[in-house]
Amino acid sequence: MKNGKAVVLVVEDTAVIRMGAVDLVQSAGYEALEARDADEAIRILEERDDIDLVFTDVQMPGTMDGIKLSHYIRDRWPPVKLLVASGMAILEESSLPIGSLFSSKPYSDHEIIAMMARLLASDNRSFAEVGG
Amino acid sequence: MSRTPFDRREAASTIAVVVSSNEPLLFLSAQHEVIAASGSFCRAFEIDPATMPGRHLSEVGHGEWAMPRLASLLKATATGSAQIEAYEIDLERPNRKTRNLVLNACKLDDGDEYRVRLLLSVSDVTDVRADARLKDELVREKAVLLQEVQHRVANSLQIIASVLMQSARKVQSEEVRGHLHNAHHRVMSIAAVQKQLSTSPGGKVGISRYLTNLCDSLAASMIADPERLSISVMADDSSVTADVSVSLGLIVTELVINALKHAFPDQAAGKIEVGYHATGNDWTLSVKDDGIGMPTGDSAPKAGLGTGIVEALTKNLGSDLQLSEANPGTCVTVSYLGNVDHHEDIRPAA
Repeated sequence: MKNGKAVVLVVEDTAVIRMGAVDLVQSAGYEALEARDADEAIRILEERDDIDLVFTDVQMPGTMDGIKLSHYIRDRWPPVKLLVASGMAILEESSLPIGSLFSSKPYSDHEIIAMMARLLASDNRSFAEVGG
Repeated sequence: MSRTPFDRREAASTIAVVVSSNEPLLFLSAQHEVIAASGSFCRAFEIDPATMPGRHLSEVGHGEWAMPRLASLLKATATGSAQIEAYEIDLERPNRKTRNLVLNACKLDDGDEYRVRLLLSVSDVTDVRADARLKDELVREKAVLLQEVQHRVANSLQIIASVLMQSARKVQSEEVRGHLHNAHHRVMSIAAVQKQLSTSPGGKVGISRYLTNLCDSLAASMIADPERLSISVMADDSSVTADVSVSLGLIVTELVINALKHAFPDQAAGKIEVGYHATGNDWTLSVKDDGIGMPTGDSAPKAGLGTGIVEALTKNLGSDLQLSEANPGTCVTVSYLGNVDHHEDIRPAA
């Protein structure tokens, strides 16, 4: 949280989609940060302690894909909320950390905005409740 | 094949049956001496048939059949304690590739209880197994490629959707923003087909699920107050090809956008009903609203891109477009009467 605004880190390797996602996050009233891959995302998470939510793609070059990254974040920064988007229409829910949300690409703005709001509103709820 | 004194006790017909068997077959004594071998066995394992009768199994060929496991299995079969059924064993020969064999052995049941003889059939499944492995690999490869293609399509559609929405957020003009949103809806209606195809086998799209997803998505992004306006879908269980579903989805997208934009200017509440029903090859798609009805005269809006898209797609599907007063509201019907099979009924047989 920065100046009362939730901080969302967008992780996406396709530049145009990343730009669109950053714009979308800002239009929803949040502060947006961006990373091109999991390694950059982890560097940013190590540098800052105000990130509330990570919105990540699945298929990315680098050492980790979005699924591995989401597990890594859940282990290392448990309070950070996770929103995962992929070109795969269905992702095994069990492959994502409990409490994270999934959206298939192409996602629409209202869908992502609603999911971010749901995750960010879930501070005092258990992860299992959010997933439902 | 020459006969030795050893097998004179066997009926000529028994020997003849074994020798002529298409399935590689060995007829053995209780001591594992070859009484007869089928021509197919000798051909398959490159052994001179003349050398076979009377020879101990362990000396057949270059001694490659001297397999302790095989000997003990045959012994167990001879004593009646076990029967070899589809037992797998590898045949190793010098300067030859290992062959995967499937063995079946049984005691000959001819009423002679004092003389045990064994029938051993030997199937070489090496090539069949290799073919099966290759097929599995191809199927796996195809699934990976298909997933890759679907992923690329989804990503490409996301690029288009992202650019359109980013432009829509940036432009000042409400009218231009409206056009960009409409373009985005069109892309998303095609994307919905893509998503559904990637999860349903056979390249068919269940029309009810598709139209419901499509209308839910249109409602979520276009209706600010869901208490005031709603979109419902009534469709039967039929499925259509991907091409037809793309056209139907685009037609519904245009008609729903049009109704949301023009049918309810001041109404306290309104609903849009999307219907799809198929009988045999005939089908009807309808989009009905309970709004203000069709404006006429000067107040009628000029036909826009949406109308053009609906007309072009209707024509392309070989269907008829009809506009009628629904009192209240308007009903647009696209109907198809024809012999071309676009449909596949997925209802289970009663």
